[in-house]
Amino acid sequence: MKKSMNKSRKKWNVSLAIGTVLILAVVIVCIVSFIYMPHDPIEMNTTLNFLRPGANESYILGTDNFGRDILSRIMMGSRTVLLVGVVSTAFGAVIGIILGGFAAMGKNIVSSIIMRFVDGMMAFPGILLAMMLVLVVGRGEKGSIVAIAMFIVPTFARLVYSMVLDTESMLFVKAAKSYGITKRRLFKKHYIPLMATRLITQFSSSIAHAIMVETSLSFLGLGIQAPNASWGLMLNESRKYFLTYPYLAVAPGIAIVLTVLGFNLFGDGLNELLENGKGGKR
Amino acid sequence: MNGSESIVEVKNLTITDSATDRVIASNISFELKKGEILGFVGESGSGKTLSMKTVVNLLPSNLVAKSDKFIVLGNDYNEISENAKKALIGKNIGLVPQNTVFYLHPMFKIKNQIADGYMLYNKKKKSEGIERAKGKLRIVGFKDPDRILESYPWQLSGGMRQRVNIALALMNDPQIIIADEPTTALDSTLQAQVLDLFKSINEKTGVSIVIISHDLGVIRKYCHRIAVMYAGQILESAPADEIFENARHPYTKALIRVIPSLNIKKDERLMEIPGFVPEKNRERKECIFKKRCSEADERCNGDVKEGTEGLHYCKCSKYCGGEV
Amino acid sequence: MQNYIIKRIWSALVVIFVVSFITYFVLMLIPGDAAQLILGTDASPDKLAELRNAMGLDRPWIVQYLEWLGGLLRLDFGKSYLYGTSVLGLIIDRLPVTASVAVLSILIAMVVSILLGTVSAIKRNTAIDYFSRSVMQIGSAIPTFWIGMLFIIFFGLKLKWFPISDYSPLSDGLFVHLRSLTMPCTVLAIGEIGMMLRSIRTSMIDTLDQDYMDMARVKGLKNKTIYFKYAIRSAMIAPINVIGMQFAKLMGGTVVVESVFSLPGLGRLLLIAVEQRDVVLLQGIVMFITAVVVFTSLVVDLIVMLLNPKIRIRTRGE
Repeated sequence: MKKSMNKSRKKWNVSLAIGTVLILAVVIVCIVSFIYMPHDPIEMNTTLNFLRPGANESYILGTDNFGRDILSRIMMGSRTVLLVGVVSTAFGAVIGIILGGFAAMGKNIVSSIIMRFVDGMMAFPGILLAMMLVLVVGRGEKGSIVAIAMFIVPTFARLVYSMVLDTESMLFVKAAKSYGITKRRLFKKHYIPLMATRLITQFSSSIAHAIMVETSLSFLGLGIQAPNASWGLMLNESRKYFLTYPYLAVAPGIAIVLTVLGFNLFGDGLNELLENGKGGKR
Repeated sequence: MNGSESIVEVKNLTITDSATDRVIASNISFELKKGEILGFVGESGSGKTLSMKTVVNLLPSNLVAKSDKFIVLGNDYNEISENAKKALIGKNIGLVPQNTVFYLHPMFKIKNQIADGYMLYNKKKKSEGIERAKGKLRIVGFKDPDRILESYPWQLSGGMRQRVNIALALMNDPQIIIADEPTTALDSTLQAQVLDLFKSINEKTGVSIVIISHDLGVIRKYCHRIAVMYAGQILESAPADEIFENARHPYTKALIRVIPSLNIKKDERLMEIPGFVPEKNRERKECIFKKRCSEADERCNGDVKEGTEGLHYCKCSKYCGGEV
Repeated sequence: MQNYIIKRIWSALVVIFVVSFITYFVLMLIPGDAAQLILGTDASPDKLAELRNAMGLDRPWIVQYLEWLGGLLRLDFGKSYLYGTSVLGLIIDRLPVTASVAVLSILIAMVVSILLGTVSAIKRNTAIDYFSRSVMQIGSAIPTFWIGMLFIIFFGLKLKWFPISDYSPLSDGLFVHLRSLTMPCTVLAIGEIGMMLRSIRTSMIDTLDQDYMDMARVKGLKNKTIYFKYAIRSAMIAPINVIGMQFAKLMGGTVVVESVFSLPGLGRLLLIAVEQRDVVLLQGIVMFITAVVVFTSLVVDLIVMLLNPKIRIRTRGE
């Protein structure tokens, strides 16, 4: 199979479309959850526990061991997922960008140390780092956000570092420097717009990663705590019973998959779009 | 050589890009006779390389080739299976590619990539393959074939690599060799060396060779027959001497005029002819060279006329339409 | 080439050093310390101070860090508060389980990725290709623990093909051992396949476009030879690097998988250490796992380098 022809500039593609739809779906569910949920997600009602999906019209996805409506808990869980996922990534991204940018602009001992530090942080398997940090900061929402933000930092630091170094060698930057532009201005006015697209796609992928880790943490009991609802926590709670009531394990997992998929596809789709727009390799 | 059988006969070959519907080569017909050296001359973009690629089945996947007849060594490509085509090509046709660097796999020593085609089609062991390779490497001029076999492609110079390519093409004692711009990447002494090599192989073994080139002057001495291609069409074809002494088509005449001045680089336009090679609408019935032709007149309106006089074919309403 | 190898090894050592620093530092920040852990929170302040002194916990933490680091170099990871035994001993005890799971899952992932990726690259934009690309995307989005639970329900409970939480070590026999590991390894592999498949597919597509592939086709070689002799050689370079990077993710994944399938491995141990705040044990395990990750990445890097004859030969003579 030989080289295929260049496609014409597209404004969208399949990944982007599906990704956007999925993300919007989660966001909408989250927003709706503040207005209306079929039942109170925290209210326990042991007489109605272990209802299978479809057994009772009012509890579409069934109930868990405490008689709580699964659908409502999933809706509530969407809040956590978005909150922790987006906020932690945002924090991590900002810190990472600053660190990376600083290191790239500086090019002295301090910046080498910073980048070595970043390398060290990247060597940790994400979950391990998060687990350690949760011990320090505490469990629950706040702890998760901090823990996850920390392991998002090195990704962005590395990305910004290499992008700035790449851009620096470009002629127009050399020209700007020759007429004495300040470093801050250089960064803000020139670098950031160039890097913006890559950063956005990375942001989307990192949110997906963050959500995966958050759910894993909650599953292990180290993240969101009861009585809050997080999809990972729901799966954890179902561990005692799912061999007898398999349906307990299904819905939260599907929710996780769809959300992570959404952010991943969005990031990939965006990437594809922007690569095509640039007209191939630089 | 004259009056000998044709081993490749192609009638009305058209190559189209399936993605854009653009025609790259339009209704080309040509013939390769046993024992002859055929030169295919044209600028880059004329479609000469792609037309030859159909003979070895290496057309890129987005291009589609259609023909009325495509007979190679007695087999019609339009009828035989893909596997049969593959075996036919592997056994009987050798390709000497244009660019020396990329056609040899960089991660294998020469000894590990030169003989596998031979071993497959002749059921030979590795040691026999190596022996044969050494023989072919000597034919192409290497005094120390062992050293070459032990080398990686990037350890050899461009000229050496080209000779390795030729040796590889000779491994199965093919009946046809297709050489795609075999001299473009080489300097002039090496050019002569390689072309002399082709000539001597042809004289010794009777292998038919197709030499594709943009440089009429270089292949002049080496071809028995020459076909001139322009914008996906064959404008003139005749025995080599005929072409030079008695060129009919204005394009051919222009090409000949340019020869003494310099080695034309691949993408450089012909200095004498204003205008550009047409990319679109190559399937037009009207003369495709008309817009750039300094000799065009009212005879050139309407469909272009073709004419064959003996072995001399040309496509020009003014010079080949019967009237001269 | 020598230079590069040395630089690379030095780089890895620096990273491991930084990792040890981060590990120690972070865990130092945990509220409450070992003395409290051992004596309980309502122990008298005097007793606490006494124990701290005896354990050397009242010294500046840099000193404690260096002491710990020194211990690491002597392969002394300290003593676990919880178990009272050597941390390294505990790690080595659990290592075979985690190692088997890790290695097996990578093998499964590799085989599937290579086959699917190659076919997908050859038959681009056909049904198989779309299938592969969906696998790539969905595989990366599926949480390991969830698919683990689903596997247990389906293959363990309903079909009864595999034991649910019954780990059999190698000593019980190879077949039984492998059978008990099949589900966890496949589950882990599903997470791996995403990235690996993408890398192989892309790499293969690039490779198939190369001119030397045309040469192989013209020679009329069998498809098997074309793909598995010529194409794979060039196409595998980038993916092997990816595998090295994936190893880190894998180590993280084993924590979850061991939890779901109740495997007595390092991940399980780590979880216990976290829950019980056994800091020494935690430091030891994290350090160990991360060091393994860094080391693996280094080894993979060097292997890739050696596979490429250009680097191997050319730089030697210079």
